Amino acid sequence: MSGSLKLVNLIETHAEPIARQWARDVRKNSRTPSYHGIPEDKLVPVGVKFYDNFKQMFFTDKPADTSQQYFARYAEENHARNIPLNEALYALIMMRRHIWLYAEFQTIFISAVEQKQAVDSLVRTILMFDYAIFFISQRYQELIRQSIEEKLGVVNVLRMESPPGTQQGPYKTAIMVALILGAFGLTYYYHAMLSQNIIFTHLLYIPIVLASIWWKKKGIFVAACLGGYLLLSHLLFLKGMPFTDDIIRAAMFLVIGTVVAFLSEGITRAEELYKSAN
Amino acid sequence: MVASMKLIDLVENHAEKIAAQWAKIVVKNPFTPFYHDKPVEKLIPQAVRFYRNFRKLFLEPKPVEASDGYFTRYAEKRYKEGVPLQEAIYALILMRRQIWLYAEFQATFSTAVEKQQAIESVTRTMLMFDYAMYFITKKYRELMKLEWFEAPNT
Repeated sequence: MSGSLKLVNLIETHAEPIARQWARDVRKNSRTPSYHGIPEDKLVPVGVKFYDNFKQMFFTDKPADTSQQYFARYAEENHARNIPLNEALYALIMMRRHIWLYAEFQTIFISAVEQKQAVDSLVRTILMFDYAIFFISQRYQELIRQSIEEKLGVVNVLRMESPPGTQQGPYKTAIMVALILGAFGLTYYYHAMLSQNIIFTHLLYIPIVLASIWWKKKGIFVAACLGGYLLLSHLLFLKGMPFTDDIIRAAMFLVIGTVVAFLSEGITRAEELYKSAN
Repeated sequence: MVASMKLIDLVENHAEKIAAQWAKIVVKNPFTPFYHDKPVEKLIPQAVRFYRNFRKLFLEPKPVEASDGYFTRYAEKRYKEGVPLQEAIYALILMRRQIWLYAEFQATFSTAVEKQQAIESVTRTMLMFDYAMYFITKKYRELMKLEWFEAPNT
């Protein structure tokens, strides 16, 4: 262990130049493209912070426990910058390489005894990095899961997805029945009472979109019903007016209903993939 | 490079023994709980495969391309088996450690010259594993198809 002191001292006293070399390298390495647009001055402190923590992690009796906290934070910071895991790990690997490049540059391990120290330092550094890779990957998975659950949470409010153990099916049906009755009433009011064919039909998209989100392809039935009712109402109450506009409206009901149904199915499939991956 | 031949020969000639030792470790390591209930006999072949490929990966003139192919396949297999990413990586790290533990046990690098060979072997092995970590995490991300939900580039 004492043999490794030489390496640790070198890192401690040269944290800034090593970090600067790393920052320059990571900004142009082909495996870290997400870092290419980050200014060098913003990257150097990341490297310095790591090299400053190096001694503490290197000499601890419990390297796993000590490094967990530091590398979990490293993962959080990189995730917040939208850096993919593979690049965040590779940037860390480059930090390790730069220690060695600098150490080699400074030729601190020359004699036979120093060669032995070099092996000790290598082994200890690699052990620390093994834990780092594990903790960073683990934390990234947790963070990705969290952000997906948050996003799904918003989507699920609209989808009225039932939390386990509850049933929201009857509520959906009741809401849909009320919306369809409202749509029928509105159509009747405008066609029969006002004899008008104005843009009230935009409101009919509310039940159409919700039905397709909730029941996917089955929900297209609501679009067909409302389209059919609109055409029937036109035939009954707006005999003298041109039929083309309402035919187009009814066709658009079907198109929108179908598109939303397929999108909703896509979200559900993606959600299933995500759940099976976790 | 020639100095590393000793390690490569050792790994190739003792692939089964090193794999068996790895399997015993991975089924009880706290960082690899997924493997804990897996029969050792079923785990050994994947490590044997790795150790048998070690020479090829080690001596390949284009280590990046060779690592990409091998470790991408490794990621695909582990993903299909349902191994969490961090455990798939750590299991591989344990495979690497087991090589060195076995080499140390066999006292492969004892003299001063051999110490220098040890440094060269460790450096070369680490280079291979650096690429491994990159390609495995990259492939896992693709396989998880999380892009649909994720913020761009995450």
